[in-house]
Amino acid sequence: MNKTPRKKTAKKSGRQPAVKATAQPAAPRKVRVATMWLSGCSGCHMSFLDLDERLVELVKLVDILHSPIVDVKEIPEVDVGIVEGCVNNNEQEHELQKLRSRCKVLIALGDCAVTGNIPSIRNRFALWDVLLRAYEQTESTKISCIPNDPVVPKLLPKARPLQEVVKVDLSIPGCPPDADIIWYALTELLAGRMPKWNEKNLRYD
Amino acid sequence: MIAPQKISLHIDGKLCEGDQGQTILEIARANKIDIPTLCYLKGLTPWGGCRMCIVEIEGSPKVAPSCATPAMDGSRIITKSDRLYQLRRATLELLFSERNHLCPMCQYNKGDCGLQHQGYMHGMDSIRYPYLYPALPVDVTGKYFGIDQNRCILCARCVRTCDEVEGVHTLDVSNRGIKNLIVVDMNQKFGESTSCTSCGACVANCPTGALFDKAAAFRGQLASCQQVMTTCTECPVGCGLKVYIKENRVVNVWGDPDSPVNRGHLCVKGRYQTWAEPRERVLTPLVRKNGKLEKATWDEAIAVIRKVAKSAKKTEKAMLVAPRVTNETAKIITIVSGKVDRVGMFVPANEAAFCTEPSYTADALQKLQDADAIIVIGAQPTRDNGVVAARIRTSVRQRGVKLLVFHAHKSDLDRFADICANIVSLEHKFWDQVAVVLKGAQRPAVVYGPNAMTSIGVTVMERLIKILEKNPSGREPLLIGLPISPNSVALAGAGIEAIEDVAPWLDAKPIKFLHIVASSAPDGGAEILQEKHVPELLRQIDCVVVQAAYTSRLAEAAHVVLPAAIWSEKSGTITNFEGRQLSLRPVLPMSGEAREDGAILETVFA
Repeated sequence: MNKTPRKKTAKKSGRQPAVKATAQPAAPRKVRVATMWLSGCSGCHMSFLDLDERLVELVKLVDILHSPIVDVKEIPEVDVGIVEGCVNNNEQEHELQKLRSRCKVLIALGDCAVTGNIPSIRNRFALWDVLLRAYEQTESTKISCIPNDPVVPKLLPKARPLQEVVKVDLSIPGCPPDADIIWYALTELLAGRMPKWNEKNLRYD
Repeated sequence: MIAPQKISLHIDGKLCEGDQGQTILEIARANKIDIPTLCYLKGLTPWGGCRMCIVEIEGSPKVAPSCATPAMDGSRIITKSDRLYQLRRATLELLFSERNHLCPMCQYNKGDCGLQHQGYMHGMDSIRYPYLYPALPVDVTGKYFGIDQNRCILCARCVRTCDEVEGVHTLDVSNRGIKNLIVVDMNQKFGESTSCTSCGACVANCPTGALFDKAAAFRGQLASCQQVMTTCTECPVGCGLKVYIKENRVVNVWGDPDSPVNRGHLCVKGRYQTWAEPRERVLTPLVRKNGKLEKATWDEAIAVIRKVAKSAKKTEKAMLVAPRVTNETAKIITIVSGKVDRVGMFVPANEAAFCTEPSYTADALQKLQDADAIIVIGAQPTRDNGVVAARIRTSVRQRGVKLLVFHAHKSDLDRFADICANIVSLEHKFWDQVAVVLKGAQRPAVVYGPNAMTSIGVTVMERLIKILEKNPSGREPLLIGLPISPNSVALAGAGIEAIEDVAPWLDAKPIKFLHIVASSAPDGGAEILQEKHVPELLRQIDCVVVQAAYTSRLAEAAHVVLPAAIWSEKSGTITNFEGRQLSLRPVLPMSGEAREDGAILETVFA
């Protein structure tokens, strides 16, 4: 939790005024993107990778500065933050708030980030019962011990979707959202428009 | 009846015509104007609970639920506006936040869910309210279906269906406000319910995944299934089935809403017993070798049969038929009957007399809904013909129809009856009471089953008709004959003799070869073994051929077993108790090496 943030060179560039993304081909600077993986199965990131050859097109327009697949510990100042998964423990809460303060547009990607989804099933049980079930009553448990080391993040009483913790600018539901839907949302944003949701592009499952 | 007054109104600027008393939604739908709904279902009493169908009425500051608001002549209605869109979306967000609607884990996703569909239609990407994540119970104790309260939106479509279509009112809404829950009986579980008939209409009418069929769960989205309409062959009502199939298997069976017989409603027999029961099929011909039934090819099995059949004289050969084969098979049976001594159709007790006087009542189910007094004699519609029982119950509950039940057995209908009597012990005083109840009945209907054919049953019928004749304005009672077996009356009409007691029929002449056409009987035709002496008599026969779809004790005792088609594989027609010719459509290809009854008979007796 209380990790000392490492000084990064990227921080400097982060302070520069961000240029609004436009559809014009001669954009002076690439849009900076950070993605984050909270309580989720990584399926939404997999679906993001399902953009396949469109990824080549995407990296011409964006720089991914922070992500589970980029080995950078500290979140830099970015234009767009994309978050998969819901907020389940105090570290995730802290990280999300940090990302929110360092990005201009925050996207909740996938059902866990938008609704809580599967991690939120535990919300109907008391926190202590959840811990007991996971660390003591499991059939395979030999030596039961509920982790209480201060280094280990603390589980919050309830798993919460992003918009209950920070302001979310765009929600992309889906479990996971289809690559086409991610592509639609990203290209609309890069063109300076907000995606419009309707029965054709919305999916909750 | 006076024709209702015509009214005209503008809906979204379009001039629409309708009848006085129609709701705004009904007129809008008739004029192809779509208004989103969740709790509305055609045929049920408007509930006005979901608030999706709200509309603006010019001159009124409030919005009104169009499903429950009668249209007024000359009014101007707006069904689409930004205000309505925002209100509907807010309603949806509240619905989603109130319970645990987790679409990825629900089997009614991807096109089956009304709630999800409305979310898409209203562009609901996220909700602005905190999720409540309540701890709600899931009840899967029912035999065929369960209820997951987490997915319930309290539209009460199940409650109204249970009350108004099936007529048992097992389901209701308990508690108040946010604590509302759908309850079974007096807050019991489905498995403990005494009133639930397992008709499954509530599941079919649930807009979300709150009520779900256990056997269909996670076997494929209905929206992605192919739909095939066929006819139920489990009882003589002949309900229309809407079968959902995917990858050559049945995913679910619902009622066919366009069927003139059942109009979308089914009983447990058609809805579940057709596909949700674990039954073992006979999939290949079986031939007894060294005392054991072993798998064989069709050619081998036919060769064995022909060998025995050749050695036996014509007088030593007989055929027994289950009263459920199609009319087309019956024709083939009458053709091949020349090659055997006698053909009999085994029917339940007292049904033979029923078959000798075939009396179809055209549109009986429709007329039953017109009757103001219903008398049930010697029939058990709740057990044998669930859809007829549902019509009787709803008539009593909704229209206050007088119901008289005469039967030797207790049944679920008894609690709805004005008079309920044991058919064998009727006193003189009793008839005065009956006369009082039936006084003023103008359109009486008598539903009689096989047990009304006993001498006491006939006496009761005669007494009733006499009482009804005394009514000053009374018409002749409408007589509706309701057999138990699916197609027995039509088969008897085709010339197949109906027999109630198999033992004396078998014993009449010595038999060496017996062909039993059990067809798709759920018990594989084993009911004849319950009769005294039949097992011994069968053991004395040199060759017993059983043509059945399901394994049974009867098949185990046979010398040759031939695999027959089940309801979903059959084609042809059956005649229902109204005299309608209803066609069966093959829903699936034949399983294993099964063949149609008629085709098997033609091969065996070629």
